[in-house]
Amino acid sequence: MLKHDVVIVGAGLAGLRACVELRKKGIDAIIVSKVYPTRSHSGAAQGGVNAALGENDSWESHFFDTVKGSDYLGDQDAIEILTSEAPANILELQRMGVVFNRNDLGGIAQRPFGGQSFPRSCYYADAVGHMMLHGLFDNVLKYKTKILYEYFVTSLVADNGKISGIVAYDIKTGKFEGIAAKAVLFATGGYGQVYSSNTNALINTGDGMAVSLKAGVPLMDMEFVQFHPTTLKSTGILVTEGARGEGAYLLNSLGVRFMSKYAPKAMELAPRDVVARAEQTEINEGRGVDGAILLDVRHLGKERIMERLPQIMQLSIDFEGVNPIYEPIPIRPGMHYSMGGIKTDYNGRTAIEGYYSAGESACVSVHGANRLGGNSLLDTVVFGRRAGIDIAEYLKDAAFTKFDESLIKRDEEIFEKLKKSNGKERYGLLKAELQEEMRANVGVFREEKAMKKAVKKIEELKERAKNIGVDDKSKLFNTDIVEAFEFSNILLIAEVIANGAILRKESRGAHYRNDYPERDDENWLKHTLATLGDNGNIKFDFSEVSITKFKPQPRTY
Amino acid sequence: MEFKVRTYRFNPDTSDKPYYKEYAVQDFPGMTVLNALMKIKSEIDGTLSFRRSCRSAICGSCAMKINGISKLACKTQVNPEITKFGIINVEPLANMPVVRDLIVEQESFFDKIKEIRPYLLGQREDEEHHKFHALKEGEKIIQPVYYKSEFQNLTGNNDTPNCILCECCYSECGGVVGNKNYLGPAALAKLYRYSEDPRDNDRNGSRLVNGSKQGGMWDCVHCQACEEFCPKGISPVKGIVKMHEKAIKNSITFSSGAKHIISIAKSIQETGRLDEVKVAFDTGGITGLINDLPMAFGAGLKGKIPPIRLKLIKDMDDIRLAYKELDLEGK
Repeated sequence: MLKHDVVIVGAGLAGLRACVELRKKGIDAIIVSKVYPTRSHSGAAQGGVNAALGENDSWESHFFDTVKGSDYLGDQDAIEILTSEAPANILELQRMGVVFNRNDLGGIAQRPFGGQSFPRSCYYADAVGHMMLHGLFDNVLKYKTKILYEYFVTSLVADNGKISGIVAYDIKTGKFEGIAAKAVLFATGGYGQVYSSNTNALINTGDGMAVSLKAGVPLMDMEFVQFHPTTLKSTGILVTEGARGEGAYLLNSLGVRFMSKYAPKAMELAPRDVVARAEQTEINEGRGVDGAILLDVRHLGKERIMERLPQIMQLSIDFEGVNPIYEPIPIRPGMHYSMGGIKTDYNGRTAIEGYYSAGESACVSVHGANRLGGNSLLDTVVFGRRAGIDIAEYLKDAAFTKFDESLIKRDEEIFEKLKKSNGKERYGLLKAELQEEMRANVGVFREEKAMKKAVKKIEELKERAKNIGVDDKSKLFNTDIVEAFEFSNILLIAEVIANGAILRKESRGAHYRNDYPERDDENWLKHTLATLGDNGNIKFDFSEVSITKFKPQPRTY
Repeated sequence: MEFKVRTYRFNPDTSDKPYYKEYAVQDFPGMTVLNALMKIKSEIDGTLSFRRSCRSAICGSCAMKINGISKLACKTQVNPEITKFGIINVEPLANMPVVRDLIVEQESFFDKIKEIRPYLLGQREDEEHHKFHALKEGEKIIQPVYYKSEFQNLTGNNDTPNCILCECCYSECGGVVGNKNYLGPAALAKLYRYSEDPRDNDRNGSRLVNGSKQGGMWDCVHCQACEEFCPKGISPVKGIVKMHEKAIKNSITFSSGAKHIISIAKSIQETGRLDEVKVAFDTGGITGLINDLPMAFGAGLKGKIPPIRLKLIKDMDDIRLAYKELDLEGK
C-alpha cells in the first residue's frame, strides 16, 4: 500500500494550487487524477478571474457584488476572504508565471463581467483557464511532484472521524490500490454530466461529491445549479461571458435586445441566473430562433474579435459552422456549474478530520444561490491555497490512522461484479435518459410536479442500473468499466439535486420555482445539507448563513 | 447517412497482434469524429478505448490519427472526411508506444516537457521580496509594472502559451522519428515560451545552454510538420528558429548545430560558396570528419566530390553587401 502525508485528488486549478503551497514547503504531497493534469476541465474556463485591481475599484465593492449575486445565500465571512485575498492571489499567480493581458499603464487588463460594478475580470484573451492551469501545472513540475494519473478514486477511508486515505483504481493496470494519508484533499470538480446540453467535460461526473456523500460527508446547497446563458446551440460548448463583457448583444427572433425588459440597467451583463431565465422565457414564448437566442458580436469588429475572443471565434466556426465576424452565434442556456458541493469551512475543512475539499467540488459557500462569472477561478486559487496552508498546519500533529483494507476488496468486488454481469442495460443509454430528464424537469424553471416526475425517473433508472452489463472484460485501460461506475455517481448526484430542489420551496438565484416565484428569507435563508440515510435515501438538514455586513435586500439589476 | 469507421484495435491483454475493426455509424448534422467514437462505444462496442474529455479542443485528450493525420477527434467533422476519404480511419498517434486501441503511452512526451524546466527561473528583482497579504479595509494593492510590449511574443492568438500539449506535433514530427532523444516541438515551444518571458530571471542563460544540448533545439529537422498539424495554429518551429538566433547572438555555440550554421555563414561570406569539407570540420571536428569519411567515399564513387579549394564567385561584392546589411539589422 502506498503511503504519503497528503493525497490531493484532482489536478485542476484548486488541486494544483494547493499542491504548489504544500510542495514549496517540502511536504510529501502527491496528486491522484483521473486524467493527466493538463486535461482537467479548469483549462476550459475562458473569460476571466475577478479581483479588484482597478484604480476606482475596491475589494469591498467586489464583496458586495458577490453577496448580491449569491442572492444573499453566500456566507459573508467566506466572501470577505475571497474578495480581500483576490488581488494578492492574482499577483501571486503572475509571479508563478501565469500571463495576463496588459493594460496601457502596465497593469493587468480587466474586462467587465456579469453582476460586477467594475471591470474586474483579469484575462488572457479568452483562454484564462488554460493559461492558469498550465502555469500552475508547470509549478507543480518545478517542485518535482509525484503524479498518479489515470487513477480513479472509488472510496474515502476514515477511522473514527479521522481520515486514513483513499481507495483508487489504476485505470492503466486495472488494479485497486489503497493510498494511506494523513490528509486528503478532494479538488474533483463538478458534475456537469448530470445534465444534457452542458458545458462540461465528459470527465465531470461528480465523483468526488458522490464518494464523499457515501463516506458520510454532507453535501451543501446541491439544488443550486448554474445554467450559463451562452452555450453553443448544437453542442452546449461554452461561449464566454467575456463576449458580453466586450459588448456583445443578445437578440431574439425580432432582432430586439430583450434584456432591456428583464434587467434594464445591467442589460446583457446581468448575472447568469437572470440572463438564462430571460433567454428561456423568450424561447418559451416563441421569440427564439430554432430554439435558440442570438449572440451578436459583429459590431465589435474583426480586429477586436480576433484579439479578445479568438477561441470563441474558432469554436463557433468549428462546432456551429458560424463565423461570428459575419453572423450572430446561436446560443441557449446550458448547465455550467455547481454552486453546491462538499460542505467545507473557509479553510477547506470538512466533517471528517484531515479531509479537505476545494474548488467546484466544495461548497464554502462563496457562490450561494448563484455564482458570478469570473468568481469560480478565483474560488479555486483562493481556497486551494488556503487548504494547502491549513493542511500544512494540520500535519504538524497529525498521524496516520488505521486504514481499513477491507474497503479495497469491497471496491474491487463492485468492479468485478460489474465486469461479470451480462445485464442488458447499457450505461450510455441510461445516462442519456437521465440527462434529458434532468434538463427538462430540474432545469432553469422548476415546479413540484415535474421534479417529482424526475425523482420517479431516477428511481426507475436506479433499478435498471442493477442490470447494467459492460462489454469490456479486460484489465488494461478498461474505460468501459470506469464509465459504468461514473454513471452510478451521476445517478446519485442527480438524486440529491432533484430532492433538494423539491425541498426548497422558494425562488432564489439559480433555483427558480414557478410554484414559489418569490424569495422567502423568513423560511429559506439557510443552507441545505444532504446526507445518505441508512436505507440509502437522501436526508436533509439545514445550517445557518453567515451574514456579517450586508442585510438581504431585494435583488434587481 | 450511414458511414464506416475503421478503427485500429490492440489489446495486449487479449491478443498480441493489432487488427482493424469496422463499425457502421449513422450521422447527424455537425457530427464530429469523437461523437462517432462515443456512439460506437455507448451503443455498439464498449471495448473500443480512447481518451477524451472536454470535447471543445482545449484539453488535448483525444488526439489521434484520422485518415492518416494527427488531429483532435473532437474538432474534426465527419462530413468533410467522408467526402474526401469515403471512410473514417482512426489510429493511435505515432512516435509513442500504443497502450491499447487509440491510447498511447505519454510518459516520454511529458518527461521531455519536464526536462526543459517549464517555469520561471528566479524572479525579477523588484518581485523577489513580494509577500502575499490579504487587503484590509480601504486598502489597495500595488501592481508591479509590465508593459504590453514585454509580453508581445506571449499574448498573441497563435503564440506558444496556447499550446494544449495534445501531442499532434510530436506525433507528426520528422525529428522524433529517427531520434528518440529529441525533445520535440511541444517541449521546445515551451522552452521558447519561458525564454521569452520578461519575468524570467535566467541570469546565466542556462535555458538556452540546456536547450542547445544533444536532443535539443538544434536537432529540429525543419520539416515544418509541427506548424502544419497544430490544432491551435501554433508554430513551434518558428520559436525554435528564433531560439537558434538568440543562442548564436549570445555566443552559445558549443553545439554542433550552432557551429554548422556559423560555419556555413562564414564560408559564404568569405567565398560565396559552401565549403563542405570545412563546414564538416567546423561542425564535428576531426572525429566528425572521420565519421563522415564513409559517406564522403560513397559520394565520391558517384562522382560527387566537393572541390578542395574554392574559387570566389563572380558577384562577391553583392554577397559582402548583403552581409553588411544583415549586420545592420542585427541578424
